[in-house]
Amino acid sequence: MKLSELKVGQRAKVVRVKSNPELSRKLRAMGLIKGEVITVEKVAPLGDPIEIRVKGTKLSLRKKEAENVEVEVI
Amino acid sequence: MGKLKVAFVGNPNVGKTALINAIAGTKLKVGNWPGVTVEKKEATVKVDGKELYLVDLPGVYSLSPFTIEERITRDFLLKERPDVIVNVVDSTNLERNLYLTTQILELGIPTVIALNVWDEFRSLGYSLNLDKFEELLGVKAVPTVATKGEGVKELLRLITEEEIPIPKPPTYSQDLEYFIKKVEPYVPKGMPKRWTSLKILEEDELILKELSDKSAQAVKGILRELESFFGESGNSVVAEERYGFIRGVLKQTLREPVGKKRTLTDVLDAIFLNRLLGIPTFLLIIYLVFKLTFDGSGPLIDWTDGFINDFVAKWVSAAISGLPEWLQSLIVDGIIGGVGTVLTFVPLLLFLYFFLALLEESGYMARAAFVMDRLMRVIGLPGKSFVPMIIGFGCNVPAIYATRTLESERDRKLTALLVPFMSCGARLPIYALFTAVFFKEHQAEVVFSMYVIGIVVAATVGVLLKKFFFKGSAEAFVMELPPYRIPTLKMLWTSISVKLGAFLKKAGTVITATMVLLWALINVPYGAPPKDTILGKTASAIAPLFYPTGIKSWEPVAALIPGTIAKEVVVGALGQLYGVGEDEEEGEEKSSFTQDLKEQVVGFGQAVKDSFVAMFGSFKTGVFEVESEEGPVSKAISKAFTPLSAFSYMVLCLLWIPCIVTLGAIYQEFGTRLTLASITLTTIVPYVVSTLVYVGGRLIGIN
Repeated sequence: MKLSELKVGQRAKVVRVKSNPELSRKLRAMGLIKGEVITVEKVAPLGDPIEIRVKGTKLSLRKKEAENVEVEVI
Repeated sequence: MGKLKVAFVGNPNVGKTALINAIAGTKLKVGNWPGVTVEKKEATVKVDGKELYLVDLPGVYSLSPFTIEERITRDFLLKERPDVIVNVVDSTNLERNLYLTTQILELGIPTVIALNVWDEFRSLGYSLNLDKFEELLGVKAVPTVATKGEGVKELLRLITEEEIPIPKPPTYSQDLEYFIKKVEPYVPKGMPKRWTSLKILEEDELILKELSDKSAQAVKGILRELESFFGESGNSVVAEERYGFIRGVLKQTLREPVGKKRTLTDVLDAIFLNRLLGIPTFLLIIYLVFKLTFDGSGPLIDWTDGFINDFVAKWVSAAISGLPEWLQSLIVDGIIGGVGTVLTFVPLLLFLYFFLALLEESGYMARAAFVMDRLMRVIGLPGKSFVPMIIGFGCNVPAIYATRTLESERDRKLTALLVPFMSCGARLPIYALFTAVFFKEHQAEVVFSMYVIGIVVAATVGVLLKKFFFKGSAEAFVMELPPYRIPTLKMLWTSISVKLGAFLKKAGTVITATMVLLWALINVPYGAPPKDTILGKTASAIAPLFYPTGIKSWEPVAALIPGTIAKEVVVGALGQLYGVGEDEEEGEEKSSFTQDLKEQVVGFGQAVKDSFVAMFGSFKTGVFEVESEEGPVSKAISKAFTPLSAFSYMVLCLLWIPCIVTLGAIYQEFGTRLTLASITLTTIVPYVVSTLVYVGGRLIGIN
């Protein structure tokens, strides 16, 4: 499942980050690494971007970017 | 020993700037990094007889650059090799912050960690075994509260008194260490060995590019080997190992509070990011910023204007009455007028910088970006650029400075090019004049249509610019929503005073010089009728070019040039050019210098009072009030224009080259190239749009 498909409130574990090396390095630096548990906190009023909580940080990313993160709902 | 070069490095929003502020105070200088529009803050201070050069590097999450800002930080660390790195971390978010730290420790540069927002860390119930933490990371760490100046002394003491050791880099799993050893021989000379080896394993393109063909070949082989060994890319393995190391350190040193409390940030975000309330609260906040900025500064601007023109100009005139008339005019109208124009912007920018700094430092600006992102993406801009655009309706000048809040250089430039299409308050008198003559019945609608045309043009130009000039993928929008924090007045003040100083120095001089040049255009040869001045002659020569826009005489063309002093000057200029300008108000009452001075002081007090009343007296803003006057100019233009050509001329004035001060602001922020680009854009676009209006109007039978 993709991170972009999660609903608000859902918790999931990161399985893999797959995109161009630049973006994946950025996402990893922000804490999206394999095995990390994240929560989808909010969706913006117009449906995009989304806000997730990862490693105690609130992170906002567009759905297009969230598509690159494969997750597993827990 | 010479100057000690101290670089402040850390994630965004951890209080790096506040920390430098606490050390350097007013000695802080703000400029741009060479060649880019990224803010550079630096200061030289003396501590215990030692000179320290402090530099605030742009906030980064890692040392693999994603944006220009991140590249600056990395290049500085690699090429300038500071003597000491102060790694500022947010203590309440150590895990994520230490990710950058692991990379800094590999650089082989003496490093100190500043554990910032220590007060919040404590009040949230965290505790840290500092000795163990220092031991495991191999560096000294100092708890700080930058906003209160706590820990600053201790930090400075460490930097100046002790020999800071080169940190020992983190060790990773045996498997990874095997691969690090394997790529080490291929690290180019002069690069830090361990750091570069790890960057190679992270497949950092910028490093891979620097390798010789032979090394690159060998490295590729190693990377393939690593990938088949771990079953994932080196990029991913290294990130996991770094976080693994951090978790190991924190497990032994950090005690987290049991049961997370709902923080203030959570409560505020429930409102500001709410699906229903998010946009309305954003609009409300922006409206308030707009209203308070413009209404609040209004009375003070009027006072400044009066002080320069009625007081300074008057008494300077009196003092130099013996000089030739043209020289008097040059000094009073050209130079004092120019300086006056610059100074009248001080109250406005003071207010704007205050509110922008408040939005920024409090953490709300990131929320605005989140809420507005989807909408602004239509024209290829991030959500935050909505703010400068809106400010532009009040005045383009602060709007240009507001582009500073955008993250990427591309976005800043694109926004700055579009801001001049926002119809500012100074354009209202032009609309007032023309609508009163030609559109008496529909004055409000026609004025409103100007605003709409401005927005539509900005959106269209935005899309076109993006397509042809600002190509490449729009930057990814991976942004942290930092915790809300109350900014201190001292921080706000430093931010404001530093920026105002830069405006006066850099933009101020350019603006004054240009004003003097414009004075010459309008007044040389001195005393000649308007038609025979340089301006009149040039305008007559190029007037035929403007026929397609419906403007058939030279006067309106000529008026556009003084209109660059300030848009509302078009009205007065038209009057003068048509030879119907009001007579100078001669025969002023005689008053003494001290009387005048007293009046100015009293006037200032009144202005401050008026400013408060304007800000808090009512909810409505006075920015859009149209005052129309009937005068001799009205008669002159009623003969020279038709309703259609009047409308076309209004559009031309709306989109035409912004005023000198706006251009000065663009020059200060972005340099010559973008200023020229802006001038080009704001001549071609208005010409095309006005022509479309006029020709289109004629085609459907309007006159």
